[in-house]
Amino acid sequence: MLASDIERTFDRYRDLLEDLSFPEVRRWKEADPRRKAVGFFPVYAPVEIIHAAGMLPVGLAGAGDRLDIQHADARFGSFICSIIKTTLELGMTGHLEPFEGLLFSSICDSARNLAFVMKRNFPQKYIDFLHLPHNPSSPASVDFLAAEYRRLIGQLERIGGDYSEEKLRAGIALFNRQRELVRELYAIRAAAPHLLRAWECYVAVRVGNVLPVEEHIALLEQVLAAAPRRDAKKRDSLRVVIEGSFCEQPPLEVIRLIEDAGCDIVEDDFTLAQRWFTEDVPAVGDPVHALAEAYVNRSVYSSVRHDFRKPRWLGLAEKIKASQADAVIFLMAKFCEPAYFDYVPFKQQVELMGLPHLALEYEEKLFTFERLRTEVETFVESLVFD
Amino acid sequence: MRIAAGVDVGSTQTKAVLLADNGGRKVLARKLTDTGANVQKAAERAFDLCCEEAGIKTADVGFVVGTGYGRYKISFGNAQMTEISCHARGASFLCPGTRTVIDMGGQDSKAISVGPSGEVLDFVMNDKCAAGTGRFLANAAEVIGIGLDEIGPLALEAKRPVKIATVCTVFVEADILSYLANGKKPADILGGVHLAIAKRTLSLARRVNIEPEITMTGGVARNAGMVHALEEVLGAKMNVTPDAHFMGAVGAALFALEKMDDSFEMGWTKDYASHRGN
Repeated sequence: MLASDIERTFDRYRDLLEDLSFPEVRRWKEADPRRKAVGFFPVYAPVEIIHAAGMLPVGLAGAGDRLDIQHADARFGSFICSIIKTTLELGMTGHLEPFEGLLFSSICDSARNLAFVMKRNFPQKYIDFLHLPHNPSSPASVDFLAAEYRRLIGQLERIGGDYSEEKLRAGIALFNRQRELVRELYAIRAAAPHLLRAWECYVAVRVGNVLPVEEHIALLEQVLAAAPRRDAKKRDSLRVVIEGSFCEQPPLEVIRLIEDAGCDIVEDDFTLAQRWFTEDVPAVGDPVHALAEAYVNRSVYSSVRHDFRKPRWLGLAEKIKASQADAVIFLMAKFCEPAYFDYVPFKQQVELMGLPHLALEYEEKLFTFERLRTEVETFVESLVFD
Repeated sequence: MRIAAGVDVGSTQTKAVLLADNGGRKVLARKLTDTGANVQKAAERAFDLCCEEAGIKTADVGFVVGTGYGRYKISFGNAQMTEISCHARGASFLCPGTRTVIDMGGQDSKAISVGPSGEVLDFVMNDKCAAGTGRFLANAAEVIGIGLDEIGPLALEAKRPVKIATVCTVFVEADILSYLANGKKPADILGGVHLAIAKRTLSLARRVNIEPEITMTGGVARNAGMVHALEEVLGAKMNVTPDAHFMGAVGAALFALEKMDDSFEMGWTKDYASHRGN
């Protein structure tokens, strides 16, 4: 890819993410009528297992501002976050037709209930709820999760999956490569943010939600090769860490306006599934056990994964230090309980470190951004014009 | 003498202020105009009227800072700052002891925690809700059938303010109509309306550190009933200057003057300003 082509690439993938018909999923399936796709609700799912069953794992991420809620409001209260409603709405309006299966996990009460609301409304689909362990300090948690993964494999085989351990080992190696490239992309963000804008990095990573991993790896390699050759001007900006957007995704415009206001987003928790493991998952031995062990021992800190061995705020502190951030922006989806519960200890940690912080609230469907723009600009002005 | 301007394009009204620096800094002229649909024209009109009042040419103004929700629409502006930064700076200039600013405007309200030099320490804005704004009061005035300028003084006459269950601008109409049907006096109804908004505003302001001195800014500061109600729920007196409505423009003009004086520490912010399109 030429450096000059990179902008067009980002635009193309942005358009792809905005297309609720999942064109890439349909294209992948058209190549062979036996192919099946399994969507997963944020934040994490063992995509390697879906891949090893010969199916396409697809990260669902709501509907942004492109779907009017006409059915979901009749089934969920007004205090439920947008992504829960838009996911159900996607189903009620036929947008999830390309998926034979849908996976949910224990991230919050709303997501837990969504799984069963979906199951009731779409009995023809395979809809499952993964019990990810809540207590990683228990010696039984790895075995518990391995058993849960084996149950998942059985369910995928039941709907036509062709699974083998060999394929799982190969899948783990592939997804390790994808995560490695994503880490490299973030390394560019941290070292030379002018070469890769935050929204570009975001699009390049998030498009992996809807692309086969092999294609995403190729895309990431192209971006990584082209980015250093870009003729982009360095700018002085505040280095900020974004925390709180791990499930419902903010509109792209919000990411842009934060940058336009004078911030470089050097770290974030957008599309966390693709950054879930802090190091490679071993692709040798019992691969199911390796995946389960990695979830328990090598996962990134997250508001949806409890770990009594290491408080999450220390994870945030490490992220802040490693990225040499000047400030933290808590960017939280309206009604997101995990994000708002963690806001308190996170905020205390950031204050302990003497860093300024700002709390912003968004919904995936936003059309006017003036209030958010004013808040971010004021935050920057308050730090810059002392 | 150096002259700078601040133009605050608010959602309801546009305010312009000329500030002169002749050893000391003083407000040379101030003008107000309805914003209407054409934001750019409103900004030009307010600015031109200001220059006319001061008897100067627009070219005599060395630097213009735009603020308010329409700040990026001011074609003649040299830079933009948010209204939160500007209200803090303006309040600190006119009332130097200010540590908290409560800004009640036409469509939104804000609470700002302010440092000794007028810097913003923390702030909070209301969210997608007109409660605690001029719009809410205008709606109440309309339902009762009196002018917006009359409701404040009338609210001060309240002997037994009614309880208002909602601060929703739409639903409060039903409450007011119900009280009117029950024969309650307009003064008591308005007293209740003002208290309800004051409490709502206070709960917003509590999200930042409320410390004295508290300065009220924004168009609603002209409403004596609202000032009284807020002071009652705060349990403290507020600074309310005749320029409260113009505070954003005053702050913007101060930033403009500082930029002219070259004491405006741009530093790395030159880049920052350029990628903001300034």
